[in-house]
Amino acid sequence: MKDLLTGLLGAPEGVVLYQLLFATQFTIYLSAIAFAGGGTVGALVTLLRIAPARSARSLATAYIWFFQSAPLLMLLFLFGLGVPRLLGVNVNVWLAASAALTLYTSAYLAEVWRSAVQSIPTGQWEGAEALGLRFWQTLRLVVLPQAVRVSLAPTVGFLVQIIKGTSLAYIIGFSDLMSVGKRWANAPVEGTEPFIIYPLMALIYFALCFPLSRLSLGLEKRLGTVRKTPPIAA
Amino acid sequence: MIDIQNVRKSFGDLEVLKGIDLTVERGEVVTVIGGSGSGKSTLLTCINGLEPINGGKITIDGTEVHARSTDLNKLRTKVGIVFQQFNAFPHLTVMENVTLAPRKVLGMGRAEAEAIAEKQLRHVGLADKLSTYPSRLSGGQQQRMAIARALAMSPGYMLFDEVTSALDPQLVGEVLETLKMLAEEGMTMILVTHEMSFARDVSDRVAFFHKGVMAEIGAPDQLFGAPRHPETQAFLSKVR
Amino acid sequence: MDLRFFEIYRRSDYLLLLLEGAALSAALTITAALTGMALALALSGARYARLSVLRHVAAAYVEFIRNTPLIVQLFFVAFGLPTLLGYQWPFWAHALLALTLNFSAYFSEILRSGYATVGTGQTEAAAALGLKPRQTFFKIVLPQAVAKTYPSLVSQFIFLFLTTGVIAEIGVNDLTQAGKFIDSRTFRSFEVFFTLTLIYILMSLSFKGGLAVLQRRLFRWQVAR
Ligand SMILES: Nc1ncnc2c1ncn2[C@@H]1O[C@H](COP(=O)(O)OP(=O)(O)OP(=O)(O)O)[C@@H](O)[C@H]1O
Ligand SMILES: [Mg+2]
Repeated sequence: MKDLLTGLLGAPEGVVLYQLLFATQFTIYLSAIAFAGGGTVGALVTLLRIAPARSARSLATAYIWFFQSAPLLMLLFLFGLGVPRLLGVNVNVWLAASAALTLYTSAYLAEVWRSAVQSIPTGQWEGAEALGLRFWQTLRLVVLPQAVRVSLAPTVGFLVQIIKGTSLAYIIGFSDLMSVGKRWANAPVEGTEPFIIYPLMALIYFALCFPLSRLSLGLEKRLGTVRKTPPIAA
Repeated sequence: MIDIQNVRKSFGDLEVLKGIDLTVERGEVVTVIGGSGSGKSTLLTCINGLEPINGGKITIDGTEVHARSTDLNKLRTKVGIVFQQFNAFPHLTVMENVTLAPRKVLGMGRAEAEAIAEKQLRHVGLADKLSTYPSRLSGGQQQRMAIARALAMSPGYMLFDEVTSALDPQLVGEVLETLKMLAEEGMTMILVTHEMSFARDVSDRVAFFHKGVMAEIGAPDQLFGAPRHPETQAFLSKVR
Repeated sequence: MDLRFFEIYRRSDYLLLLLEGAALSAALTITAALTGMALALALSGARYARLSVLRHVAAAYVEFIRNTPLIVQLFFVAFGLPTLLGYQWPFWAHALLALTLNFSAYFSEILRSGYATVGTGQTEAAAALGLKPRQTFFKIVLPQAVAKTYPSLVSQFIFLFLTTGVIAEIGVNDLTQAGKFIDSRTFRSFEVFFTLTLIYILMSLSFKGGLAVLQRRLFRWQVAR
């Protein structure tokens, strides 16, 4: 692969492109970890958020509020620099970056999933209750299957946010597409000027994100979406 | 004078107007009745150029509506139209709703436009609502505002498309009163309506539309009292 | 583990630094929101242009911005464009440009969804009164679209504000940069960035409050039900 690109484009262009593509895998891994971790924590928070116990709900609400209001960059600094210095231990950058992105993701997903669950008309709950189903049974058998449909589009859409979000992890020393690209852009090598490298990196990010955006849009058209999805940026 | 000659209009394959001939003289009140989908609304939107036509021609005071050289925006200032849905501009006060077009289209100054607007709004009985937003008005009030909005352009002709159909029954009367007042003042108008007794009361002539054709036209007493066309008879027996 | 927030809070020079950083962050974000909104207006309008090239360019631009990280856009604007075109601006100007370009794409999508909510009855009524398409757009459609999408615009704005810390990476002395400086002096990273987080949250809440007041001012017709 490296030889192919170098042969095709020559040095340094071939080498640079190879290194960028190689580093992209870490962007993907980190995104996957954040999605899996954020999804798991998010599911737990969602359950707390809709649980009958009032204290559980308040706790979940506070959690969602805090991690949706906290900038991702600050979470990265807190886990990458703050916690290690506070505890006087070394924290692996993978761990730090994963933790920050997981919390960030979990809050968003919990919010999406909560609104999906609560978008199901109360008549459904009442109907199931009338049949003698318990809370958890109603949730599992009646509400969740419907809620999953409408939350699919925003959930996939948030993957785009995660991928874009991982681009900040280089700031705490994580090595990925962003950090490798930035190093090349700063290198005084002809053919790796910032106006070449950054568009190239943007294209790679775009190639990762755009299909997911489209998929999300397609899902939204086919399955609908939660009425008030929180905004998306980065 | 509005002169409609052999006007044809299609939406795709659907021919909605199949050669309509109608001349409306100054000061005349012509009412159009007919079943749903017979092309009544389409005719009105063609008259003021909101819709293009596929054949024939419409001239207003000698200006051909659908000629390329015609300035439609200018022409529309001469022909006011009021729709079933009031289409009040919700972000503008009653006064602003009425002064918008005089200021932006006719280029009037604020004071002049407001004087005219106030006059028209008093005319339709809304003098005390000048700084109110439409969301605070009843349907009947909104519709009367829409009428004042059209009148503020000092149009020579007014077109009304089922202006009472979207109103609660108890609000229909106030709007019909306004229309009747206009008719008595000599405004030239074409009205599409389902209010038969009203049509009989104010019209100089009544036209019956059926499937894109003007099946019959005549004085109200004749058309309502002794309809000639079998479809007119069928329609009238249904609505009564 | 010991938390020593006082090491930051007792130093008035640090507090001043944070205050200045917060002010610059706020100023740049608000300015970028305004310029971004203007660009968004043009972008959303271009989506209805008669010239199909214009439509496609606008659509591609919006998709590209929304599907790439802000930091890459920022670095391109701050380091790529100046070397390519040979100009030199202060850091904050690069940041402002990058944020404007970024915000505009998100805002234009929201505006577009807003135009769709204004019924054809409104535009038909405006046309019937003789208003030209441009007048109809600015006088009738746009005000209603902005009013309808105002809550979305506000949350998008807040969300974008929370991403602006990246401009510290190109040397702008914003709130994040102030934090990084204090961190490099005190090594109290947790305390510093926790404080910063709280400041960002506080600022978001203030924006939200201010924009809610503005909403009641701007769209009295909507509240007046
Ligand atoms: N913009 C349009 N595109 C396609 N078809 C249309 C359009 N407007 C009207 N039509 C069709 O043209 C026919 C005539 O419509 P029109 O609105 O003129 O009827 P109408 O006599 O006003 O009926 P109603 O009493 O229900 O208002 C209908 O079949 C309608 O579906
Ligand atoms: Mg009709």
